[in-house]
Amino acid sequence: MPDVFVSKKSEGKIPKHGHRPAVLDALTPSSRTMSAFCFKPKGIKFETRQKGEKVILLLRRHPVTNAGWVFVAFLLGIVPFFLQSFPIISFLPENFRLVAVMGWYLVIVAFSLENFLTWFFNVYIITDERIIDIDFYNLIYKEVTDANIDKIQDVTYRMGGVIRTIFNYGDVIIQTASEVPNLEALAVPKPALIAGVLQDLRIEEEVEKLEGRIR
Amino acid sequence: MNIAPVDIWAVAKVFAIVGLFIYLIFALVVVRQVQLMIDTLEVGFEVPVKYLSYIHLILAIVVLIFAFVVL
Repeated sequence: MPDVFVSKKSEGKIPKHGHRPAVLDALTPSSRTMSAFCFKPKGIKFETRQKGEKVILLLRRHPVTNAGWVFVAFLLGIVPFFLQSFPIISFLPENFRLVAVMGWYLVIVAFSLENFLTWFFNVYIITDERIIDIDFYNLIYKEVTDANIDKIQDVTYRMGGVIRTIFNYGDVIIQTASEVPNLEALAVPKPALIAGVLQDLRIEEEVEKLEGRIR
Repeated sequence: MNIAPVDIWAVAKVFAIVGLFIYLIFALVVVRQVQLMIDTLEVGFEVPVKYLSYIHLILAIVVLIFAFVVL
């Protein structure tokens, strides 16, 4: 029986070198690992990293979100200077007063250190294969969640409020088809760009599947 | 019946030293936790963070010793 329609062989053929993603090409690699938005950072190691897995993005909460605790620490730091004007602990002997002030500053150091560590180590890592959310809660509880890029169903980002608009940060919510239904990257810089990167990675993953290059 | 007089500042000293000792244990937990955090994630800024936790521990020890001597 004669064929009604025969498609040209070139149609539907995937380019040999794969898809060239727009957002991924536009970004330049960053070496500042203290930054809240690092594109292709070098020297990143994490517990569950697989062989050959490339880190595309390292994200933290925007630095401006630290302003609250920095301000509180500053206020707590200047309290002892007002004790001369408001002698609340004047009933204590001199040596006790000295130890009380030293203890006060120790508590401020602990408060600042804990907040800094929480900011520094609570990261979101986007690799070419997965999204990993590393959370440390109050210094003694750790939670590591990951989801494969090909399991992403939907990416939503939201920005709202004056501060978030000025400093360009917001939340990225990633719905997945894996056991963990939602991954939320909260208060991260450039949420639109992150959503673009995820979109590119999803397309790349699709192309890899079509080409049979699945790892 | 004769009740022995209690030195209120001696009791306060015991409380202060116990409090600072508990704080020292907290500082040790911070050092351990920083090590665990670094094991989980290495981004190239581990040495200063580790030093911060050790400085905090040293400060806690210094204040405890100081309280022992001064109070």
